[in-house]
Amino acid sequence: MEEFVTACPRNCYSTCTFRVQVENDKIIRILPYSGNLATPEGPCIKGLSYIERTNSPERIIHPLIRSSSGKFSEISMAEVLDIISSKLLYIKENWGSRSIFWYTGSGMSGLTNEIGQSFWNAFGGTTLTYGNLCWPAGLEAVRLTMGSVKHNVPWDLKNAKTIIIWGKNPAETNIQEISFIADAKEKGCRIIVIDPIRTATADKSDMLFCPRPGTDGALALSLAQIIIDKGLINHEFVEKNVKGFDEFRLSLHISPAEAENITGIPSASILELAEIIGTNGPVTILPGYGLQRHQNGGQTVRSILALSVLTGNLGKPGSGFNFANLQSYIYDDLKEPLSYFPDPEKDMPFRRTVSMAKLGSDMLNSSDPELKAIWIDRGNPVLQAPDTNNVKKAFSLLNFKVVVDQFMTDTASLADIILPAKDIFEQSDVIGSYWSPYIQFKPKIIRSPGEVMPESEIYFNLAKRLNLNVSKEIIPEPGNDNIELWLERRIRTYSDIRLKTLKESPVLAPGLQLIAWEDLKFDTPSGKIELFSSEANEKWGISSLPEYVPITNSWHEDKYPLILISPNTGSRIHSQFGNLKIIKETNPEPCVRISPDDASARGLREGQKIRVFNQKGELLSRVSISYRILPGLAVFPNGIWVNEGGGVNQLIAGVETDIGFGTAFHDNRVEIEEVD
Amino acid sequence: MRKGFIFNHNKCVNCNACNAACILENGWTIHLRNIYVYNADAEIALPVINLSLACNHCESAVCMTGCPASAFSREKSTRAVIIDEKKCLGCRYCQWNCPYDAPKFDAKKNTIAKCNLCFSELIAGREPACSNACPTGALKFGELSDKTPDVIYSWFPDKGLNPAIEFTGPLNSTPLKVIPANAGSGGKFDQNQIQNKKRKNISAEVSLIIFSFLATISVSVLVSSLIKGVFPDKWTFISLLVCTGLFSFFHLGKKFRSWRSLTNLRSSPLSREIAALIIYSVVSAFTVFLNLPVLLIVSSASGLIFLLLIDGVYIFTDKNRYVILHTGQTFISALLIISFISGIVLPFVFMALLKLGLSFYNQISKQLNNSDFTLRFLRVVFLVVPGLYLILHSSYSDIFIIIIFLSGELIDRILFYKDFNPLNINTLINNNLR
Repeated sequence: MEEFVTACPRNCYSTCTFRVQVENDKIIRILPYSGNLATPEGPCIKGLSYIERTNSPERIIHPLIRSSSGKFSEISMAEVLDIISSKLLYIKENWGSRSIFWYTGSGMSGLTNEIGQSFWNAFGGTTLTYGNLCWPAGLEAVRLTMGSVKHNVPWDLKNAKTIIIWGKNPAETNIQEISFIADAKEKGCRIIVIDPIRTATADKSDMLFCPRPGTDGALALSLAQIIIDKGLINHEFVEKNVKGFDEFRLSLHISPAEAENITGIPSASILELAEIIGTNGPVTILPGYGLQRHQNGGQTVRSILALSVLTGNLGKPGSGFNFANLQSYIYDDLKEPLSYFPDPEKDMPFRRTVSMAKLGSDMLNSSDPELKAIWIDRGNPVLQAPDTNNVKKAFSLLNFKVVVDQFMTDTASLADIILPAKDIFEQSDVIGSYWSPYIQFKPKIIRSPGEVMPESEIYFNLAKRLNLNVSKEIIPEPGNDNIELWLERRIRTYSDIRLKTLKESPVLAPGLQLIAWEDLKFDTPSGKIELFSSEANEKWGISSLPEYVPITNSWHEDKYPLILISPNTGSRIHSQFGNLKIIKETNPEPCVRISPDDASARGLREGQKIRVFNQKGELLSRVSISYRILPGLAVFPNGIWVNEGGGVNQLIAGVETDIGFGTAFHDNRVEIEEVD
Repeated sequence: MRKGFIFNHNKCVNCNACNAACILENGWTIHLRNIYVYNADAEIALPVINLSLACNHCESAVCMTGCPASAFSREKSTRAVIIDEKKCLGCRYCQWNCPYDAPKFDAKKNTIAKCNLCFSELIAGREPACSNACPTGALKFGELSDKTPDVIYSWFPDKGLNPAIEFTGPLNSTPLKVIPANAGSGGKFDQNQIQNKKRKNISAEVSLIIFSFLATISVSVLVSSLIKGVFPDKWTFISLLVCTGLFSFFHLGKKFRSWRSLTNLRSSPLSREIAALIIYSVVSAFTVFLNLPVLLIVSSASGLIFLLLIDGVYIFTDKNRYVILHTGQTFISALLIISFISGIVLPFVFMALLKLGLSFYNQISKQLNNSDFTLRFLRVVFLVVPGLYLILHSSYSDIFIIIIFLSGELIDRILFYKDFNPLNINTLINNNLR
């Protein structure tokens, strides 16, 4: 038996380090690695499930091609690459390379993902997406205000006296943070959760505020006004470090009574909360990503962040606004969210014209050239992008679809060719984290089963067939030694860290501030924290100041009275892991959760079969009635495969957020009715 | 120092990593570690508390002492209580005895499975899979302190068991403050809407009810024969005996291992009950075949002892003492039946009044399940009516009256099983934290 240390490369805050025991080229055990101070107790249930996932009998380990009858059959890798290369050439010659749409998701992070970019660049460019399904509205809000996106190290939470978990559910999405929150609580820290759902995290708190979805900005600005009126701001901090305080103060106009009307939170409780934020410091705010998946998401995050700014809860232990910590992203020339924005000059020869949020309609509207083919790495857009029916329609019009994946996902099942994807133990890579401050090495531990080939090797073999002129320094030759050489070259231009050092243990990012902004230096145009941001107005057309903008799309409130929220769950990373036996065994069947009030109004009983529908589509499911859900809400997790009763994006319109090209998933309404 | 589980409920968010790690490490097909949740429906005014439990490897392991088949043993170096499923009869007596819901019945194999503390891992200097896997540090494995059990878990059923578990972390007894207060519900909430009322299902125990009732009748017939000095009808009595034995046998998950049920006479009340059944059956069979008056005395005595040992099986389990004086106990029931069918009025009146008094007392003092009102009412009627008949006529010749009377006793035995409620974490967690 051999033991290795590796790290989980999923799109997750925690980025756990863990130990892996291997016997006969099989992963037999996953154990904690205490050397990572952010995840000392080890990975979550998803991490444990790699034992099953890597060896799953349902894993695709040979290339599959769709026959004329519509069914998939196995084909050898050599043959399938021949077919793909001639298809690609044909499409390029007839419609140009930009008629090929290269879609990448967040399925697995790592520097080697860049090799795909190099391949398509050498091929002559493709059409690409801009924006992101997840977090850019908030990232851009923090960047505009603070100049960069970072926060204190996760274990600094123990120094807080008040922790406000605002729209985040770490119990399910960042489970190790619960440990720090519980430790802080045992030391007397107040734990406040703001969420329209009584989450598992809320169960650990002292107070739960349930505002109506999309109204968090109004709550924040009302709190800001009270804090200013009561003289609870940190005058010295504001005077020295903040640009636009006076303009901000004068712009505030949401009284507690008005805030009560908008949010549903009684004004007395708003006053109480303001008092706590203003007096019971240090305060750390843990904002989640759900609250910014609204059309006003960016302004909401700016408004909440203003509370940390006014009270000087930044740059010191126990304080902060922990939206994301990009300090370990040292190998990126352009950090998120800037990397999501199209830049015609730098993007050459690519064409970045398809919005992630509007995937279906933008694909359908692409012209000159029209899209003819799609290549998908690390993504499952048919399930995870909004407006499923339009996405499917756009897919159906394409001549050629290649999907690289490990399992028969909703996207893979629509492909013409499926290439088997590597698992996390099958190629070396280097990853950062957007929560913990570590840079980590992820070694190759076992051989890939069947004909599984890492994407880097797929691209190498295709480049050879297409006679592309690329050096092996850009697209390395097959073999893990070559990948490690490539990684070594890749990282040495950015810091003194060598692969050898990373192989020993996770490394704290060079230049890391354990306490973010402790030097009170801000990388904004003014060098100060910008409550007033000219860039916000110039770039996005929003107010230069944080502002509450009510959500006013055509909601059909009368026809579809329930607001649909589609959160992430503890047993999945988006659409990954939910297909595994061990996850199914330990999780209830998916169902739509509503409040007892809404159930009574519709005469629904627990477990009843229902139809959830709106102008976009419908979903058949079962109802679960729960005190955890605020009346007026319907909650169904994203990421559940259609054949397992999921597919919530059929009910969600493709709409962008106010800033950052994010996706406004949570602004949709539905109605529920019983079916026989 | 003794080692065991150390649990901090403040860090447990019901993520199931412990449960999954247990399954992945051991390849179980059933869940041996589970998370028990107080206020799982998240009623607004109450906290939600999660408790991850498998086996606590008690020093006084009642699963082991109670097991008639000696299927449990203790692994010496780790003090783990382990089960050899090849020895298990599938009688499920350990499920009654363990208050932690640790023994799980594997319906595919018809035997019990339980946590083995990953003892081979421990011997190799590592930890159990569950505590190793807990991503928040809520569940740990380590040296237990000697301090008295924490007041937070005063309800935790550890009386005399000495479980290898301790609790850390203060209990957040103040309920979560939810704002606005009507967030979860506007108030017109009906508990039945959320969950179907959990009712005790006695269908699994039907064979036990029939077995113990037939045993009571058979002993009563024999003893009243002794009183009246007439031997019972040979073939009726033998068929009664055979039926009794068969119902006992059919209750087992592994019928061909039934011989193992005699391997723990030293500590298992169940083992003793089965031994008594065999002795009683053999002696009473000889009695009716040989018609020897001496044997009638011996078999009557062995029958009464047998009934006392049946009652002992339940008294051993009943840590709440709900059924210790229950009128459905076989011994009490037998005394009443004997006096009725022997037609001796005074002892009958005494036993009948005792029974009525006891059931009334139990009803009031122990707050037994009141939902079975019809059954309890019938039980009284079926005792009073034949009783008056007996007193007025000093005879029991009317077969119809006997049937009514015996139905009353059968109802009492059914009520006994309904009232018999072994301590179990599933019910305790909700009754005691509330």
